[in-house]
Amino acid sequence: MGVAVEVRNTAPPRLHLVFAGLGLAFLVIFSWVLFHEGAAEWRTTQARFRRLETTVKNPHQLAQAAGVGGLRQIWLPDLGRVDRCETCHLGIDDPAFARAPAPFAAHPGTWLSTHPTDRFGCTPCHDGQGQATDYATVAHQPQPFVTRPMRPLETIEANCGVCHRALDPPDAPRLAEGRRLIVESGCFSCHEIPGFEGMTFRGPSLDSIGYKVRPAWLTSWLKDPKGYLPQSKMGNFRLSSDEIGSLQGFLLSQRAQVPLDSTGVDWKKADTANGRALFGELRCVSCHAVNGRGGTAGPELTRIGDKVRRDWLFSYLKDPHRVQADTPMLQYRLSDPQWRDVTAFLLEQYSSADTGAEPPPVTYQDARVLAAGRAVFERRGCPSCHRLAAIKDAGRIGPSLAGIADRDPDELPYGTNVVRHTTDNYIFLKVLLPDTLGQTSTMPTFAFTPADAAKIALALASIRKTDLPASYVLRRPAPVPYRPGGKFGELVARYRCLSCHTVGGFGGDLSTVPLDRIGSQLQRDYLVKYLLNPGAVRVSVEARMPVFHMLPDEAKTIADYFSMVFLDDGVEQYDTRFTAEEARRGQELYGQLGCQACHQLGTKGGYVGPELSETGARLRPGWIAAWLSKPQIYKPGTLQPDYGLSGADARALTAYLTSLGRSPAAKARGGNAQ
Amino acid sequence: MTNRTWHAVAVAVVALASTVGCRTGPPSQPGDPMLNAIRAEEREGNLTYVESQGRRLFLHYCATCHGDDARGDGQNASNLSPAPPDMTARTSQDPALIRRVIAEGSAAVGRSPLSPPWGRSLSQQQIDYLVAYCQSIGRKKP
Repeated sequence: MGVAVEVRNTAPPRLHLVFAGLGLAFLVIFSWVLFHEGAAEWRTTQARFRRLETTVKNPHQLAQAAGVGGLRQIWLPDLGRVDRCETCHLGIDDPAFARAPAPFAAHPGTWLSTHPTDRFGCTPCHDGQGQATDYATVAHQPQPFVTRPMRPLETIEANCGVCHRALDPPDAPRLAEGRRLIVESGCFSCHEIPGFEGMTFRGPSLDSIGYKVRPAWLTSWLKDPKGYLPQSKMGNFRLSSDEIGSLQGFLLSQRAQVPLDSTGVDWKKADTANGRALFGELRCVSCHAVNGRGGTAGPELTRIGDKVRRDWLFSYLKDPHRVQADTPMLQYRLSDPQWRDVTAFLLEQYSSADTGAEPPPVTYQDARVLAAGRAVFERRGCPSCHRLAAIKDAGRIGPSLAGIADRDPDELPYGTNVVRHTTDNYIFLKVLLPDTLGQTSTMPTFAFTPADAAKIALALASIRKTDLPASYVLRRPAPVPYRPGGKFGELVARYRCLSCHTVGGFGGDLSTVPLDRIGSQLQRDYLVKYLLNPGAVRVSVEARMPVFHMLPDEAKTIADYFSMVFLDDGVEQYDTRFTAEEARRGQELYGQLGCQACHQLGTKGGYVGPELSETGARLRPGWIAAWLSKPQIYKPGTLQPDYGLSGADARALTAYLTSLGRSPAAKARGGNAQ
Repeated sequence: MTNRTWHAVAVAVVALASTVGCRTGPPSQPGDPMLNAIRAEEREGNLTYVESQGRRLFLHYCATCHGDDARGDGQNASNLSPAPPDMTARTSQDPALIRRVIAEGSAAVGRSPLSPPWGRSLSQQQIDYLVAYCQSIGRKKP
């Protein structure tokens, strides 16, 4: 009781004071909150917008727009986002504000028509803090403790890649280039990279490398591949001279198979002039560059004489598939003396001046050197790209890159680099300067330019952990491997059709002609002639089909198979009974539309499209009509414009083109061009 | 004032001065090397992002006649009569006219039919890019 009395007697006057003080404090805080809320940045911004609106719109439009105000937000439960950006960006989807100042300007381009805000919001593309409603908190600029501030326009394509998982998304050239560089450099051989599943990157298998290369070349190659070949796809592993020595010994001892087949060759009779002629005729430069000109599908040949041994080269040219089963190179039909001449020509023409005589093959006996070399080979992940029967591929040596863009940037190492801590910067430095991030990296360097490294980093920065709803994801369709059987399959394997052409998206990209509907496109007789002696349909094309020296029976087999199997039902049914009037009208259209700007007919016309004087003997009418009507459907990105032809106009042009170059006998048979 | 007060004032002044000093001194701004690499490439090309998108399309669709630098000297130019114009010689370009020529072809503005219509093959966005690049062609390097 004593305590209670004490409280009742002494406390009241002080408690009154405390209550009064607290009450006052609450009042002050409450009014400050009210004032602060009333004067919030977004309210003043909206007031500015309304003033601007009166200058941009007429009274009728204003009446319709009335009522827009207050906190506006887009809720995207599928993406787990709430974006309040439109609270201030009030004119974002209103073309009337196209020229308005920030933040009221309409969104540039046509992006919002393909990505409406009610489905995509704002931050999935732009990043930043969507729930914030003042400039600083949104993180328009990088802020401390904000992991994902808004992306500047320069790197925004990284966010395109989150949904657009096709290799080459339209309108995102930096992302596409970054992904191309990843494919070209084979990053996925050592790292699991989502989006690149099922892709393989292979260097040559090394089972017979002891027969193949000269020791001096191997030393310089292991030291720095780009020193021998600036376009080399192999990275620099920054090996020590001890490592190079043992690895070289280990590799040169790899002579598991006996691929050589040159015992009967009389090298004294070699005719390099004939070799030069064959080198041109076979169109080796479609795939192999010399002195900076030519294709990149095969190895550069400018210094091939410094690299390979003569007997290996001869055996390889004669039967590439026996010497190196997984090579993309085709097997020509040439005789031994012809291959002898080509070999002699290559070695004489494409060697450095100081290339000495070929040293005899060395057999390394020192078990310690061999073991050390083998250890280097395994430790640095060489089996990821190069097959060697003696060593089992241990899978990917590098860490998985799944979700790399969602790593906490403050937990990543930056070494001595003074950079803002972002996953972008980390990936960029890792790709460009792997050794500066605190510890010596085992990753090879690829001598990327900073701009290329930035594009690779940009492509990798699109690899998020987030599981997007399937309806948002545009996947890369996985090509189904195409392996035909029978006689046709043997020919496809021998001539390596799929090194350049695709079937169902599977195959190489050197040729611009997929084979899927080739039987509906080309006449069977023309196919036979073309396979036996491929001419140039386009005047200005550099990569041309090789002259295979194919047997006539082989050409017929391939052409028959194409004409029976590789058909497009949509273009097969076409009425080919053209009238003379249709052909006349087609000829008129040909001139009116300006076809001659790109196509040559006789000696007149442009170099861009195919020469047309043989069209009647070359193309099938159904295909001509289909192609002219919707070229972009059949070949996205083609230079053939879509003229929006009516069915009658397309038919007239088809009638005219079909009449070109047909044999008199075919013409005598009448309108049917089949 | 007592000694103690002087002490307190001195501490406060030093604290304030050092704060101000830190604020006004040169900030050690951490860099953004990835962004800088991309910006350096952009500066080199003297094109904005949108213009460089247009240039990429120009090289693919147009350069074969108009030339890589729009000088009217593409490899196919010699086959054309009239020849494509040297676009670098113009100082001002009407964007609406450029858009019309690209989308509907040169015949739509009363010229020869040799420059075809791209309106059905390219998206609106792609044509926007091309127009932006065409407008940048006459621009002098800074």
